[in-house]
Amino acid sequence: MNVIVNKFKEMTYKQIFLYIIIGLCFAASVFFVNHNYSFYERPIAKVIKTTLEDKTEMIDIHDNKDYLFNQLIIAELKNGEEKGRLIHLTNEYSSSGAYDQEYHVGDELFVSIDTNKEENTDLTGTIKDVKRDKHVVIIAWIFIFTLLMVGKKQGLFSIISLAANAVLLSYALDVYLSTSNMSLVVICSVSTILFTVISLLLVNGFNEKTYAAIVATLLGTFISLLITYLVMWLTSENGLRYEEMQFLTHPYRMVFMAGLIVGSLGAVMDVAITMSSSIFGLYEKNNNIPVKALKTSGMEIGKDIMGTMTNILFFAYISGSIPLLILYFKNASALGFTLSMNLSLELARALAGGIGIVLTIPIGLYTSIFFINRKRAKL
Amino acid sequence: MNVLVWLAAILFILMILIGGKKGARSFFSLFLNFVVLLLTILFMTDPNADPIILTLIACAVISFINLFYINEMNSKTITAFISTIITIVILLFFIDMVTRNAMIQGFGEEEIEELSIFSLYIGVDFVKIGASVIIMSTIGAITDVAISITSPMREIFNHNPLISRKDLFTSGLSIGKDILGTNTNTLFFAFFGGYLGLLIWFKHLSYSVGEIVNSKVFSAEMISIFCAGIGIALIIPIASWINAYFLVKTRENNKIFK
Repeated sequence: MNVIVNKFKEMTYKQIFLYIIIGLCFAASVFFVNHNYSFYERPIAKVIKTTLEDKTEMIDIHDNKDYLFNQLIIAELKNGEEKGRLIHLTNEYSSSGAYDQEYHVGDELFVSIDTNKEENTDLTGTIKDVKRDKHVVIIAWIFIFTLLMVGKKQGLFSIISLAANAVLLSYALDVYLSTSNMSLVVICSVSTILFTVISLLLVNGFNEKTYAAIVATLLGTFISLLITYLVMWLTSENGLRYEEMQFLTHPYRMVFMAGLIVGSLGAVMDVAITMSSSIFGLYEKNNNIPVKALKTSGMEIGKDIMGTMTNILFFAYISGSIPLLILYFKNASALGFTLSMNLSLELARALAGGIGIVLTIPIGLYTSIFFINRKRAKL
Repeated sequence: MNVLVWLAAILFILMILIGGKKGARSFFSLFLNFVVLLLTILFMTDPNADPIILTLIACAVISFINLFYINEMNSKTITAFISTIITIVILLFFIDMVTRNAMIQGFGEEEIEELSIFSLYIGVDFVKIGASVIIMSTIGAITDVAISITSPMREIFNHNPLISRKDLFTSGLSIGKDILGTNTNTLFFAFFGGYLGLLIWFKHLSYSVGEIVNSKVFSAEMISIFCAGIGIALIIPIASWINAYFLVKTRENNKIFK
């Protein structure tokens, strides 16, 4: 107990103020997502009773065994004209749950209410979707709290830069959709510059180290993009299966290339900042360090991070396809077909990102040395 | 020739040019990881296998490859490996609970049309697979943070052999803080690059904020990003503590033997 009291005394007013603000935001947002029914136009119902009606075994044409369940649900309407009334719903779900799920007491669902009903009978309806906003908000807060607890000030800065980048990305897409004559790749390239400048300045502040990292990031990203583009052009995109690219409303090649830039940017930035801070660190420890020594140490550091960085991207991209791959396999699709259908774009992204990472190592090294030499010349 | 073969060849050449022997090993580890991932997925198609346990085994093998094959087996990589496994176990329980409650498993409304030719009743537990997807997407970042903390901590210990366990732990934390921001950023951009099509879709069909936030695909993506960030943040104190504990403990043991 004493430890906590002492900790509390050590805090400055600014810190206490900040914690109070964060606490208030947390309380307000959690209260809001739990009481925001009136903001939705679609009717929302909260499950208050479920009964299992029947269970049947089913075997599909590929000999997969699954169970189908029928569930009767009584739920209370939370908004609209019928607020407070009970509604009867039925839910069919399978034990695998690829597109359906069992509902439990307390779950909130978007429903549609059947209209052709006589007076004084129970309302019936169908389930449309699940209200997930409160889960997203709670997990967002757990994320924010973990980052703040572990990272303190740096944690706060990384949250701010994530938020700034998200807003910027959303704005860039708005610009793209409203001015349809501008290419998405151009818009993403411009945003790339902004993303880089904002994120690196926020993390590192205004100094030569940051400038070197910014230059290295931009060079690395665009050179790797150029290489990928050249390869795609030379092979006339043989081996890329765009058919399975989801959510297509726009030219797929464009969306793919733009995703490629944005996707590899984070990793390239990470490599660039690691290179520049370690090389500037060596220089600051010993102002007379020869360029040759900087080069050897820089390359050593680069070798160390190369493998793990490419792995980060690789797993971030590929893992998203796991459910689809399983679905294909269970529907008796051949291995080669399944892989090329589902993984070609992800693999291309991961490989292109990897090329960006590896290229940024020497680029980051030489831009840092360039900035150090300029600093030395000034002295 | 195929785009993928070309890109892989370019990456391989660049890695060898810049990284030499270690570069070749890094490239080969990518290939090994792909094989491990593929085998895990094939095992997951067996309805009797538990995807969570398969994920744990896969994560152990993957971090084994990333840590011991690329960086060789030594006290740094061993503590990094132990902390990775502990973090993954904690995270798996958390994520399994989250995917269950938020019901983000399987496929969303937006994806289902293209899948209408498939049978969806395939007898594997998609909730657990959903949890496994999230873990798998961060395993690369988690092992990266683990090694980036334990390796400089070892250097600090070597330079100040009399450092106390608490000071060692604090120095581990402060190294961790520096990489926290860049690593979450890396994952953030990777996720958004991958889902750019989805974002354009939402904007183009002018979904309302309420529809976007509650849709399965979007909330699944956001929850993955948040859980990945939680994982990266969690491994920092875990790796610092375990590494400080082991370093100080070996020092004490050596004293006794002398």
